[in-house]
This record gives sequence, structure tokens and C-alpha cells, in this order.
Amino acid sequence: MPDRIILYRLTWLATALSLGHHIDHVIRHNAVGWPLTGEVNAFTMSLVIYPIIATGLLLYRAGRVGPGFWALVSGGGAVFVSLVHFGPGALEPPELILDHYDPPILGWLAFGWLVVFVAVLAITSVYETRTWWEQRQARRAAQPATSAEAGR
Amino acid sequence: MTAATPPAGQPTVRARPGVPAATSGVGGAVLLVGIRIGLWLGVQLLLAGLLITAGAAATGQALDEAASWWMVYGALVDLGTLGVIFWLLRRDGRSYRDLLGPPTAAWQVALGAVAVLAASVPAVVFSAEFTSAVYGENLAPMFAVVDLPPWASVVSVLLVPLLAELAEPVAYLGVILPRLEARLGRAWLAATVVVLVWAGEHAVYPLLTSNSGGLDWAFAVYRVGSVLPFLAIWTALYYALGRRLLPVMAARWVFNGGTALALALGLVE
Repeated sequence: MPDRIILYRLTWLATALSLGHHIDHVIRHNAVGWPLTGEVNAFTMSLVIYPIIATGLLLYRAGRVGPGFWALVSGGGAVFVSLVHFGPGALEPPELILDHYDPPILGWLAFGWLVVFVAVLAITSVYETRTWWEQRQARRAAQPATSAEAGR
Repeated sequence: MTAATPPAGQPTVRARPGVPAATSGVGGAVLLVGIRIGLWLGVQLLLAGLLITAGAAATGQALDEAASWWMVYGALVDLGTLGVIFWLLRRDGRSYRDLLGPPTAAWQVALGAVAVLAASVPAVVFSAEFTSAVYGENLAPMFAVVDLPPWASVVSVLLVPLLAELAEPVAYLGVILPRLEARLGRAWLAATVVVLVWAGEHAVYPLLTSNSGGLDWAFAVYRVGSVLPFLAIWTALYYALGRRLLPVMAARWVFNGGTALALALGLVE
């Protein structure tokens, strides 16, 4: 499968998981900010990801950005969500999800969703970094050949 | 028929440059899984029998006594696995290096291993929460049961994690996965089967007894559930890294060796 198609699929998957996690926030209503409340917090800041993805998709389609851009977006997303939910000083630790659903299995479903979301972001970042590196190597390998052709 | 040619009637998964195609049939895959599960069960039961025979453990306690050595006798399981892997390689005219994927520089292995460890964080968090939900503040039983003399702790830290990395991920990702891909024709389906079987294997090491005296099936289910996210992430990363196995092996070695060291030093209670 071409790298481009895989990249699109991973981006759509991560977007769907992000949307699902935001819906989880809305249902729990214990870690939400503007526009649902007056407070500007991590929830509010995290909403910036959707315009970034939309812009990135347009620029990627136009050939203005490549896998390196997506590696930064997904890697940055993985770090941000991990710090907010899993870090030592997490603002929203797992208990904030697990203990706020009745029946508890729904809490585990939401928590499992979050774990899959972060894992997909991290794996996507690794995949896109490798793709970026391989494309860079291929360009470098092609450059001397192109220069030699031009010099003839 | 060459090693790259699947038998008639089997779908072909496109070979990637630098990645050797799977050898024919899933017989080798089934043999590897069977040998590993058989050895985990066989060695523990044999050890339990020896403890009973020597009078070192009562009948009802022998299984748990034997289980306390699982981080040492795991070496026998991995040696058996390596034996089967080399037998399969010899039969197919391939080398162990072929199973590790495209050439990978040392810095790529190191950087890839860091990425694998970082990407494993969600699995660590899930496993920790799952353990808390099932066992509260107590240590997970597979670690709580470990009770080794100092020399055996040294073996469990230095030798066993190394052997485990040379055998376990190579067996599942280097040998079994390509064979299933060739048979099933869908990489995602083959990967799903591998992750489920790999996780399932964890149910048998170690076997523990419950308070009622029978086998502790709840622990077996917990064991599979707690390890599943790790195996899913590592398998996905194997693909993301272009089927390079060395970064996954290096990261797992750090992870499992670190766990064994922490146990040996009594840092986890």
C-alpha cells in the first residue's frame, strides 16, 4: 500500500479517536473548558488540533508539507495527551475517567479508547518519521545523479 | 519452489525490498507456538514434580513453588524456541539475520528503541490501572510469586531477558507473522492473530493455584489482558519501523531486564 494512502488512513483514524475522546470529555463534563464553560484550559487548547489537521490535509494535498509535518503533529499530540492524562503531574489522571461512569465498564471503555488514541498517535509519529527519513534519503541519493545528468 | 514462492492456492503478500518473503506453510508457525506453550507448561509441571519427589514442597503447593522460578526457567523455553527457529531456518536455507529485517545502523536501533519505549507508555498506564483494579495495592501475582536465591536473580536479570529477546519477538514477528501473512493474504488479520496468540501464551506462565486449590483462571485472564496492549503496540511498531525487529528487541530487553532488575533489588513491593 502506498505511503500516502497509509498516511491519510492513519490521520483519519487519529482524528476519529480524538473526536471520540473529546466526546468522552463532554459526557463526563469534569474536565471541560471553553466553549462548554467559561474557563480556558487544556480541553480548550486541545481543540486547536482540528484546524491544524484540516490545514495540514489541504497543504499535504497541495504538496506543501510532507510526512515530517505529520510526524510532528502526531508526536506532539501524543506528548500533549500523555502529559495531560498519564504524566506524573497529570491534570486529568485515569481515575478522572474510570471513576465517572456508571456502569464502570463504560469508564473502562473510555479509558481504553484514550489508551488506543495515544498509542495510535505515537505509532503514527514513528511511521511518519521513518517515511520522512526514507524520502529524505531517496532525495539525497537522486541529487548526485541529477547533478551528473545536468553536467553532461 | 523457492523460499519466496507460496504454495499453490495460497495468496501472496507483496514482499518489501530488503524483507525476505515468508517460507511456505504455517506448519512452522504452529510448531513454534506449540513448542513454547508446551515448554512453559512442561517445565513448570516437571519442576513441581521434582519438588514433590524431593519432599521440598507439598502436593498442593508445588505448582506455586515451581512458579516462583518462572523468571529463570523461561530460559529453557527460549532455548527451545531458538532450537526450533534454527531448525526452520536450516530447512529453508535462510539465516537468523534474515528474520531481523532490513539493515539497521546502531544509531537507528537506539533511536528506534527509544521510540518503542515512549510508545509503550499507554500500555504501561493501562496495565498499571488494570492491575490496580484487579489486585488493588498488591503486586501482580506473576511478580509476587517470584522468590529466588541471589545467583538465580543474577541469571534472571542478565541471561533470561537477553535470551527472551533473541527468541520471543523473533519467533512471533520474524517467523510466525510472515507465514500467516502469506497464508491469510491480509497483514492486519495476520497481525491480529499473532497478537492474540502471543497474548494467549502469557496465560500459561506461570500457572498459579487459586485459594480454592484449583488453577487460578482469573489470573490467567488478567495476564492476557495486561499484556495485550504491549504486544499490539510492539507489533504495530514493527510495521511502522519498516519491519525492523532490532529496535523492538532492544526496547523489550530494556523493559523486561529493568523489571527483572527491579524485582531482584526489591524495588517493587
